[in-house]
Amino acid sequence: MSETTSKAQTQADAQTGQQSGGTTVEGETQEELREEWVQYEFDGQPAISTRDVNVHYGDDHALHDISIDIPKNSVTALIGPSGCGKSTFLRCLNRMNDRIKAADVSGEVEFNGKNIYDKGTNLVELRKRIGQVFQSPNPFPKSIRKNISYGPRKHGDIDVSLLSRLLGRDDSDEEDELVERCLRQAALWDEVKDRLDDNALGLSGGQQQRLCIARALATDPEVLLMDEPASALDPIATSRIEDLISDLAEDYTVVIVTHSMQQAARISDQTAVFLTGGYLVEYDDTDKIFENPESQRVEDYITGKFG
Amino acid sequence: MSDAYDRNLVESESSTYQRLAASIVGVGILAFAFALAALFDLTAIDATFVGLSLSNLLGVGTTLVGLGVVGLGAVSYVGYVETTPDRSAGLVPAVLFGLLWFCVAGLVVSQTFGFGALVWLPAALLVGAGAAGVAIFPREDIGSTLPAGAFALLVGLVFLTNVIGPDWAWSPTDFSATFTPKIVVPFLTVLAVLVASWAAGKAYDDFGARGRQTGAYMLIALNALGILSVLVILVAFVVSKGIGPLFEGFSVGASGIDWPFVQNGNQLTNDVNGVFPAIVGTFWLVVGSVIMAVPLAVGAAVFLTEYAEEGRFTQVVELATNGLWSTPSIVFGLFGYAFLVPRLGNSTSLLSGIFVLGFMLIPLVLITSREAINAVPDEYRDASAALGVSQWQTIKSVVVPAAMPGVITGVILGVGRIAGETAPILLVMSGSPFPSKRQAPNVLDISFSFTSSFPFVDASLISQEALLNSASALPYQLYAIITAGVGQSEAFGWGTTLVLLLVVLSFYAVGIASRAYFRNKLRS
Repeated sequence: MSETTSKAQTQADAQTGQQSGGTTVEGETQEELREEWVQYEFDGQPAISTRDVNVHYGDDHALHDISIDIPKNSVTALIGPSGCGKSTFLRCLNRMNDRIKAADVSGEVEFNGKNIYDKGTNLVELRKRIGQVFQSPNPFPKSIRKNISYGPRKHGDIDVSLLSRLLGRDDSDEEDELVERCLRQAALWDEVKDRLDDNALGLSGGQQQRLCIARALATDPEVLLMDEPASALDPIATSRIEDLISDLAEDYTVVIVTHSMQQAARISDQTAVFLTGGYLVEYDDTDKIFENPESQRVEDYITGKFG
Repeated sequence: MSDAYDRNLVESESSTYQRLAASIVGVGILAFAFALAALFDLTAIDATFVGLSLSNLLGVGTTLVGLGVVGLGAVSYVGYVETTPDRSAGLVPAVLFGLLWFCVAGLVVSQTFGFGALVWLPAALLVGAGAAGVAIFPREDIGSTLPAGAFALLVGLVFLTNVIGPDWAWSPTDFSATFTPKIVVPFLTVLAVLVASWAAGKAYDDFGARGRQTGAYMLIALNALGILSVLVILVAFVVSKGIGPLFEGFSVGASGIDWPFVQNGNQLTNDVNGVFPAIVGTFWLVVGSVIMAVPLAVGAAVFLTEYAEEGRFTQVVELATNGLWSTPSIVFGLFGYAFLVPRLGNSTSLLSGIFVLGFMLIPLVLITSREAINAVPDEYRDASAALGVSQWQTIKSVVVPAAMPGVITGVILGVGRIAGETAPILLVMSGSPFPSKRQAPNVLDISFSFTSSFPFVDASLISQEALLNSASALPYQLYAIITAGVGQSEAFGWGTTLVLLLVVLSFYAVGIASRAYFRNKLRS
């Protein structure tokens, strides 16, 4: 590994360097951040690409110049120690940071060729296409069926209101199809098909989280953002969620924040490593990151020396 | 501590001691119950049981309790049973015992022996300090039992020797009240039993940490018992007085139920006068003010919690609502009288009453709704926003349904307050306190007919006349009968009281049932 370090040192001399690297970063080695560590080449179109995303919470500079391309139909893991800004970055991708008053986001996030931070962005449409699953399962206190169809109902895609039922033009059949499709995709159908009208809060934690995934799928998104979706679950439920994520990557682009490096190694295709202070240090194929990282600090983090 | 451990292995040794403590508490509770019964007129203080007057009997009970408690302490102190007392009973019991004995000594010296302040004050201070000292300096088993047991013993002996007996009365020179044994005997008994049961409870679990727990438990349990019995006796009292007039002339015949007290108004031709117009008045009053206030209050709560930014404005609104909630009802009544009545037909009317009570209801429903909406987890809002659902849709279909049980709790509490409100009704709504049946407000007036002239239909849903005329209400009738002594007999008043109680309870029942419905909807 000393070879890599010395190589990095020589590169540092040649590099103009990022303005904020080195000085503000905590850690044992005060190494420079390198542009090429976060350059990740892949075939095909990116689903989302960010350019110089910065986030401030008041005076706190939480994210520094994050620029990455996220490939389509793959699993991208964001890892790093607590407070490194990985969840903040995730929330930038569907503008959920708008809901935090103190958060101030600058930079560009390009999705389907448009910057989602442009004026006039349709948040309804954006969040329909970029779904999110949260850290702890948060189903609504409604029936399983209503949880799944909540989004489409509110968007007017499915109409099962009393009026439409009276007029005989309700979408009950479509609703049933949607519920079944989403629950099957979330690998939950067989467990709940006989109790679709029971309250979702009666499900176990793992089932609730899969229900939340199914609910996010119901609006037919292209991208799924997951913020530590398995951190509140037991090992068995966790492994089911992980299998599910791998399956979902065939049709969806999944971006997952995780604390568990094993999890990132198991399920992701590429991994972005954030380190304390809100810096993206390295972004590459997951195998490369875990077997042969360029940065000494990433290696220390992955081998458990700090973080 | 090894002592305690060993002793626990040999339970039979201490069980006699525990049984003794338990039976002392048992005798105490019996005396407590008799004292409460005497206080609420269920029995007389000079009634005789097994050849003894009640005060003597209570004397026997408290004497036994006092002797027992002192005995428990002494047995523990000389080491006859092994207990785990602390080094002292503690400062708080010491202060309370000091105060208790200060009062006892002060009253005895000044009132019984008639000495002036120069004598009774030092004597009382001396005795109080002595009692506090007994609680502080000896070990806990003496410190917490001796002052308590001695007090019970003193009370018991005073009752036994008829120093305070059925014929005793005390008129203090400095103020005009006269204390009769009817009040004093039960009061002293309850006090002595409370203090002694605390000490006996401590002894039951061998003093120390476990003993303190049991002592506190005894105090709290007796307290709860007392409060509960007050409630039960209050309801039983009203029922026993009111059940007669309520069912006067009640019959179930071929033509259905004939219940004159509930079905009749006041008329000279009636055999039995009834409260029908007042029931209807109270019903429409409560329903009307709920219909008026709840949407306004819930809307305001939604705005304040979901839309308005926390800051000066919400603080001011919060201050204002809290202030309105604690505003006396007569102030609302005066506002209605001066502002609403002149604008609503210049006479007292049901509508003014609905408005005034609605205004009174708004603050409470607003406060509780805000709490309920704040308590809805943010996760629901996040989940909904992440699905692209707008804020208003989220509020409508997730936040408000989740907050509904809390909102209804507020409505229940508020209805409990306004249904029995008399002062504002007196000012803004009342006409004749005892209207005839025809004068009952007939608010719902549903009719529909075609006419020959424009606009060719004559439809009505709500009767203007009923809303704009004065109406009676149950609490107002009660006020008229009991306080002002107008019109009806006292028995009629008790009947009205019972009906008012039942009407308020049935509003409660409706509220609690709907809250259960909404809770159920959220859970299953």
